[in-house]
Formats: sequence, structure tokens, C-alpha cells
Amino acid sequence: MKLFSTQIIVPVDSNSVLQGALEVKHVLEETIARFNLGSQVSVVETGALGIYDQGVVLAVFPDDVYYGGVKPVDVEEIVTEHLLKGRVVSRLAIDRNLSSRRLVEKETGKSQQKIVLRNAGLIDPQSIDEYIARDGYGALAKALAMKPGEVIQILTDSKLQGRGGAGFPTGLKWGMVAKEQSDEKYIVCNADEGEPGTFKDRLILEGDPHSIVEAMTIAGYATGAHVGIVYVRGEYFMSIARLKKAIKDATEYGLLGKDVLGTGFQFDIEVYRGGGAYVCGEEFALLESIENKRGTPRNKPPFPPQQGLFGKPTVVNNVETFANVPPILLNGSDWFKSFGTPSSAGTKVFSLSGDIVNRGIVEAPLGVTLRELIYDFGGGVKGGKHIGFIQTGGSAGTVLTDKYLDIPLDFASMKTNNVSIGSGVILVASEDVPLLPFLAEVAHFFWHESCGKCTPCREGTLQVKIIMDSLVNRTADPASLQRFGILLNLLSATSFCGLGQAAPLAFESALRNFPEVFDQALAESSVPEVCHEEV
Amino acid sequence: MRSDKDVQSAGKAETLSEEDRVFLQEVVERDRAEHHGRLSYMDIMFELEHHYGNFLPGAVLGEVARLVGTPVSQLNGFVTFYTMLSTEPRGQHVIRVCTSGPCHVTGAPSIVAELKRLLGVGLGETTSDGMFTLEASSCLGICGVSPALMIDDDAYGNLTPKDLPQILGAKRAGGAR
Repeated sequence: MKLFSTQIIVPVDSNSVLQGALEVKHVLEETIARFNLGSQVSVVETGALGIYDQGVVLAVFPDDVYYGGVKPVDVEEIVTEHLLKGRVVSRLAIDRNLSSRRLVEKETGKSQQKIVLRNAGLIDPQSIDEYIARDGYGALAKALAMKPGEVIQILTDSKLQGRGGAGFPTGLKWGMVAKEQSDEKYIVCNADEGEPGTFKDRLILEGDPHSIVEAMTIAGYATGAHVGIVYVRGEYFMSIARLKKAIKDATEYGLLGKDVLGTGFQFDIEVYRGGGAYVCGEEFALLESIENKRGTPRNKPPFPPQQGLFGKPTVVNNVETFANVPPILLNGSDWFKSFGTPSSAGTKVFSLSGDIVNRGIVEAPLGVTLRELIYDFGGGVKGGKHIGFIQTGGSAGTVLTDKYLDIPLDFASMKTNNVSIGSGVILVASEDVPLLPFLAEVAHFFWHESCGKCTPCREGTLQVKIIMDSLVNRTADPASLQRFGILLNLLSATSFCGLGQAAPLAFESALRNFPEVFDQALAESSVPEVCHEEV
Repeated sequence: MRSDKDVQSAGKAETLSEEDRVFLQEVVERDRAEHHGRLSYMDIMFELEHHYGNFLPGAVLGEVARLVGTPVSQLNGFVTFYTMLSTEPRGQHVIRVCTSGPCHVTGAPSIVAELKRLLGVGLGETTSDGMFTLEASSCLGICGVSPALMIDDDAYGNLTPKDLPQILGAKRAGGAR
């Protein structure tokens, strides 16, 4: 193995490639060769650093210097000034604290480590050796030396809860599958990230795919399953490619396959693609889709741990949930519980989007507030404007005023403070963004994505859309707000699956927090003349 | 995913050549091997859609249904459920412009309006030269660089309306970005 004195890290995740990362990398390699630095400086492709609003970002190690907004024409200056002369190019240097990498230690003072994003942006995601060098597959080796029940016990003690939105205890779920008697069981990773404003799973899959391979294999051992399936959004081309490479490399290293690490345990992982259907994030719809059917939900119970994929006991966990598993096994449940709040252990990966200075991904301990996320890590609202509204948790999440900025976000915050955390979406809209057209778009989204299986959701989402459009067009009739409330109740109470049940959240919270906006739209409305013809 | 349009019924369109039949059999068998004896209709359909010019002709669906041993109606139901698949002819390039929350807040409505103007088509329509089909899409998961769109497999972010002529021009010329 060659030793380099300096490493330059270039994120080549989708967001960075969009901003020209590949061109910069190409010029960087050429320039390094031209100045004969090839034996001292290595250029490493990596997953996202979580900083998007700085254009192409480069990180130089061990100097720990971050450059932002790097264009191909800037590269020579970085090479001659920084690499040759050791002088930081200050006009391009950016505040490294914008990288969420440092958040965990800052908040708790307890650890030098990020948990979920521990490797993203630090290693070459396509190199299994680099993953292994960062304790990768150590948790798998440790698990295989334990009894399956002991593995599950550690997870249960850690109080890890599902990160996909529902917050179900992971250890409990695995335990349910472990105790089922069946000739076949399945481990399914839900990577059908479709909640608008969520792009964390993409970052994990593109930046650290082996963490998912390792965690799913551990889940297989703990529950007695031999087949793992990752269901990835159809649009996530790079995630799919990285994951397939990780699976292939792990199989070649004997970390997957007929005889995992020489223990006789067999486990294989396959990748299935989604086809552009939001409802397939619902676990049963996802399983139906893997079974080559339309992605519609099934009756519950039985739940997937009893009768899941092909009718067999199945663990379905979100990408982020799986990514938490190896560090918990390596460091123990008490370590994990030292992050977060009493009701919610660990960290959460938040996706910051909208009118925010630093859009991107932040990993923070549960209990972090919106103010910390938006102002400390997000850098505040673009253009120094005020917050108009915030949507948390995704389209199936709550619409809030800035009065909510100091409420701690955890799995209990929906119940206690009506703030949904969902998949970790923090969408900020400045005071310039009108609320009602935004809500109409949310309504259109649910109407479009409703699978049509149950009447309350199929027809209810259409009615929500009609009412929202009438408010936007100022053609709402005076009784429509009252009908709206009844309709939203009906949707949440009688819809067949989570899609319809959660669809009203945005509208209910907006009615609660911004009643004046609705009142004003009604006051300005004139009901169009309806032609009452005899039929 | 729900389509208000009537979908072309599968299995009743033009006939297939012998070459097509051999190709389809190969695609199905390759998929079966990759998935350890199971099949992923989605993988098969993505490959076929690419091969047949961004849509799935009825005769192709009919033959695949026969090969995988499922009723044509079932396969048609599958294909018409997922927005990335189409049984209707589409343009050479499919533009998926995101209209979800984060893109909406940062300017998607003006991007959609400009695309409609430049292409002279509405959402769900194909340009008369058969080059582009314009589709509204739910969140593409690249909210860090919103507003965003995808053309085929390529994503474009941090868009302003004035970026669009160049992007469309490059695609029209057959190049990548």
C-alpha cells in the first residue's frame, strides 16, 4: 500500500456531481501530475460532505482545510499555493464547522464520532478496504461471535428506534422475527426515500454503502434470515450502482455468501428498484412491489415480522436505522444512549432544504432544536429574511411558525408539541413564499401519490386538493373551511395506510398555526356563479 | 401513478419479430439469474423501456407476460401503476421536473412555466418533433440543489429559468451535459 502525505477528498455524490465535482477532480489530478506531486498527494473520491450550497467542496487532509465553490480554474492555485507552499487559499476556504461532522462532539462533548454519517465524506465509498480500515465489518465479526439473542438484546437496550418516521423500537422488531419459526425469513432495507425534502438515505447509500451491507448481515444472523433485499428508489442511479459494487466486493471478501467470515452462516443481498411511487415507502406496499405487484398496502395485522415478504417473517428497516446498528454493536448500548433525550436515544440525520443558507445534511443528537438546525448549522434564512413557515417531517409533516424554534425535536415531540420529526425534513420558506400555493402543491402531491386502494384516501386527497385550489384561486365558498376540518379528520381516521392517515398533518397544522391566512383567503373569495339547470 | 388517460391495452399491438422474441427471452433469463431464481419485473421493464425508446409497446408486454407466466392484465396493472414506466409512446428524452415542497419554495413554478413555454407543450405532453416529453415529478431527492429536474438519467440542480435553453439545447444536440 502506498503512503501519501496529503489526501484531497472530493465528494462525488449526485448533488456534488451536479455542481461540477467530476470536472474539478479531473483537473486536480492533471495538475497534481503536472507538478509532479503524484507520489505525495492522493485524490480520493468520497460521498457527500453534507455541504451543498458551497458549490464543489474539496477537503485537504491532514491539514483539515475545506475549500468551497471550487471551479476548474481555481485548481492550479490550490495546488501551487496550498500543496507546494503550504499556504491556505483563503479566498476559497470555508468554515469547516458547516460540515456536520463536528456536530456530535459539539453538542455533547462526549464523543469524537458521528454515528450514522461516521464514514460519509471521509472514505472512498467504493473501497471496501477503506471501510474495513474504519472498523468496518468489525461489528459483524463481533456479532457472529455472540448468540443471536445477545445481539438483539444489545439493540433493545440501546433503545434504537426506526428512523423512517414511525419510530418503532428496532430491537423489538428483530426479536419478533427471531422467534418466528419459518423455513425462510427476509431482511428488507427500505431505501425508497420519497418523502419530499428527504435526501439523507441517498447520502448514506452513496457515501457509505458497506454500512448497510454490514448491518443487514447482522440482522440476518440475529433473526435467522439468509436473504436481504434493498429496495432503492428508481431515480437513485448512483445509490444503486454503489450498493451493487459494495455487495459484490463484500461477497468476494467472504463477508457475504455461503460462509460469512468462515462461520458457516449464509447471507446474500439483492437490490430491487422502485418505479416512482411514493406509497412504496409504506412497508407493505414496498413488499408488494418486490413481489412484482402494484405497490398497494396490505391489511395489518399480521405485520411484516409475522407475514411479510412472500408471506414469510420479515424485518423492514430504514437505511438510517441500519446505519446505526454497527456502531451500537461496537460501542455498546450505554454509549448510544449517551446521545439524545430520555425518550429518544441517539442522533438523527436531518435534511435542510428551501430558503436556507447552507442546504444539506446535518446529523445531530435527538433533542436538537429547530433554531440550532436552521441558524447554527443552516446559517439562517437566505438573504437575511425572516422565516415565513417551516415544514418539518416532510410533506406528511407539520407546518410551523417561528414560535416553534426552541422545541426539542425527538420522537415524542409530535405527541407533546405537535411537531413532527418524520424522516428528518427541515424545509424553510422565507417570508416571501405564500403559504397557500405551497399547501396546494402538497395537496396535489398526495392526490397524485394516493395508490387508489381505499376510498377515504383516493377521494379524500382529491377533495383536499379541490379545496386548497379554491383557496388559492379565491373561489372558496364560506362553508369550505368547516368541511375541510371534517374531511381531514376523516382522512386520518379511516385511511387504510399511513399515506392517507398522515396526509392531513400539513393542513391541520397550517390551520392551527396560520388561521389568518385561511381567513383572509375566504374573505377575498367570491364563489363563481353555478348554473342550476334542470336535469 | 394514477393515470387519467386511457392506457393502451397490452398484448394487442403490432407483432414482434423473431429477433425481439430472442432478446426478450434473454432479458428475462438474465434477470432471473441476477435475482437467484426470482424475477424483478421492474428491472426488466426499465431495460425494455430503454430498449424500445422510452415506452413499453403492448406486444412486448404480451410476450413478457407469456415468458414470466403471468396474465397480461396483471403485468399491465403493474406497469401502469409506476410513474417511471409508460405504455404510451414518449419522447426521446423524458424531462422530470420536480414540483415537490423544497423545489416549490425555491422556484419550481417558474421552471415549469419556462419549460412549457420553451417546449410548447403542457405537462404530460410530448413535443411535436418527438424529442422531449415533459413530466411533473414528485421529489427527486436532490433537494440540496433545488430547484431540480432530471432528463433521462441526468440530474440538473440550482436551476433558474435562463439555464433551461442551454440544457435543452445540449440534450437536443445529443450530448450529455
